[in-house]
Amino acid sequence: MTQIRKFFPYLISVLAAFVVVGILLWVLGFNPLKAYQTILFTSFRTPNGFIQTLLKWIPLTLTALAFTVPLSSGKFNIGAEGQMLVGAIGAAAVGILFKDLPPALLLPLVILAGMLAGAFWGLIAAWLLYQFNINEILSTVLLNFISFALVDFVATGPWRDPAAGHPTTVPIGAGGFLPMLVKNPPLHSGIILAIIVAVAVYFFTSKTTSGYELVVTGANPRASKVHGINIRKMFLFSLVIGAAVAGLAGVIEVAGTHHRLIEGLHSNFPTLGLIIGLMARGKNQAVPFVAFFISILEVGGSAMQRTIMVPVQIVLIAEALILIFILLSDIIKRRQK
Amino acid sequence: MSGLESTITDFLKLTFLSMVPFVLASQGTMLSGRTGVFNVAQEGIMLVGASVGFLVSYITGSNLIGALVAMAAGGLFGLILAYFTTTLKMDQFVVGLALFFIGTGLSSLLPKLVIGVTLTPPLVKTLPEIPIPLLSQIPIIGPVLFKQNILVYFSILLSVFLWYMLYRTNMGLRMRSVGENPKASDALGINVSSNRYITSIIGGMLIGLAGAYLPMVYTGTFTDLMTKGRGWIAIALTFFGAWSPLPILFGSLFFAAIEVLSFRFQVGGSFIPYQFLSMLPYIATIVVMIFTFGKSRVPAFLGQNYDRERRTL
Repeated sequence: MTQIRKFFPYLISVLAAFVVVGILLWVLGFNPLKAYQTILFTSFRTPNGFIQTLLKWIPLTLTALAFTVPLSSGKFNIGAEGQMLVGAIGAAAVGILFKDLPPALLLPLVILAGMLAGAFWGLIAAWLLYQFNINEILSTVLLNFISFALVDFVATGPWRDPAAGHPTTVPIGAGGFLPMLVKNPPLHSGIILAIIVAVAVYFFTSKTTSGYELVVTGANPRASKVHGINIRKMFLFSLVIGAAVAGLAGVIEVAGTHHRLIEGLHSNFPTLGLIIGLMARGKNQAVPFVAFFISILEVGGSAMQRTIMVPVQIVLIAEALILIFILLSDIIKRRQK
Repeated sequence: MSGLESTITDFLKLTFLSMVPFVLASQGTMLSGRTGVFNVAQEGIMLVGASVGFLVSYITGSNLIGALVAMAAGGLFGLILAYFTTTLKMDQFVVGLALFFIGTGLSSLLPKLVIGVTLTPPLVKTLPEIPIPLLSQIPIIGPVLFKQNILVYFSILLSVFLWYMLYRTNMGLRMRSVGENPKASDALGINVSSNRYITSIIGGMLIGLAGAYLPMVYTGTFTDLMTKGRGWIAIALTFFGAWSPLPILFGSLFFAAIEVLSFRFQVGGSFIPYQFLSMLPYIATIVVMIFTFGKSRVPAFLGQNYDRERRTL
């Protein structure tokens, strides 16, 4: 019963957002029922739709965790975009430079390089916070813009694939490809990495001492400081861990999905990751489930654009509204006490 | 005019032209910040301002109406921010980020609904230069300061007005006291909520106008994500300007100069790859933050909601 009660505000929020967007769709001359049918059921109608949903779930879960892990200590990492891209650059660089290595060596190297590169990008912001007390929201956002230029530089430089019209590098060595789990429709093993990370984050924050220190720092920094936790180190640590997870999202896009670095491979995943993290109210263990729901909406949204010509941006509006309604439900709960 | 003189004149003129979005967005941030509302939705509000401002002037053929509607849209975002934080006491960063998402989504959705997809970009007239008689004839200073579009003049006058209002009037004193100590202000009979609402709404209007400037002066059309981080830079600039109108005006000139330089070098061609030149504004912002953060004066209750029923602050 308590479980249902916990879930209830979410359900109401989703319904309320759907009603608002439904009215918007109706005013614009689309059929809202048909639109929602497409949005909600595309993922379950065909095997391809389901696999598409899983493939979106991977980067969405990882970029959302990149936001919620630092949030556990009270810090806002808005830079998953940049960390994911720099992670992708790291993975692609190693994959191209050592393309002749066997899979047993190359794949771990590609993954490690990408995660380290992402962590490094987060470390810049973390260090600016640690050393100069610079607001992490600003530094991580600014680093995003720098990373866009960096990707463009790498994808149009010496590694450029001249056959591609869009800025793209040559493929990484076949040894760096993530093995396929399902051949047709294709599903790579990045999903296993994402599940491992999600479980590890849950285990770390709820079952270990340093994870506990992290969460306590976020809950009450002053009390934590008094009890001997170095909270500034906690901030630094949580931002770097989050950034490494975002870096892994970049690795998986390179080693699993595209097998090369493509400009724009981050898509809208990091932005959605932020929305997912906020919808989960920063709870790491809720992230994978919220991310799955958002993956369904995203896959359904692009199908809706193809079939009934509703602009896909309407899904982003719906997601932002769900978020607002979930936040509002907190207020209502507070008043009822 | 010699070659060097005209190069310098052109550079300064462009710098003053490019300072406007920074001035408007940053003064808007400063204004609500002085009463304690820390807006972090600038990037989203600017995009909405750019999108709405462009669409309305495209349909009506009037830049003025476009700019006014863009301001109204920005003001609406400011109102929502104030309602969720001041009345409902929700976390300011979380609400700000949510508004940033909504703004970004709306800005790219609206043109698709109103105009649809076209082969050639729909264009609006860009703002004309309005030379001020006599003054615009002065060498160098004339074309730089007195031969600009109307919003350049507006942003300078606005900055001076805000300085006067905040530091020389009772209304400004009340606003500043709300951001420094809401409890004491409340005890003295100052309405904390209404001060926060008013500054948040006007701040949002200025940020919306900052967005509308981009299609109306730079491009003549709206493109997705055309703010390119200027909204975020404006927050850093506000810290750089110590949450004070006149330093913000001068800080805007600095950020505008870097933007112009970065663009000039990219177009002019140099031995440095253009991608690294395009990073310049963002790197400069981070470097500036290193030197100003922690040293600049910040309103004491920036980003914190006030609940009069709580005993502690």
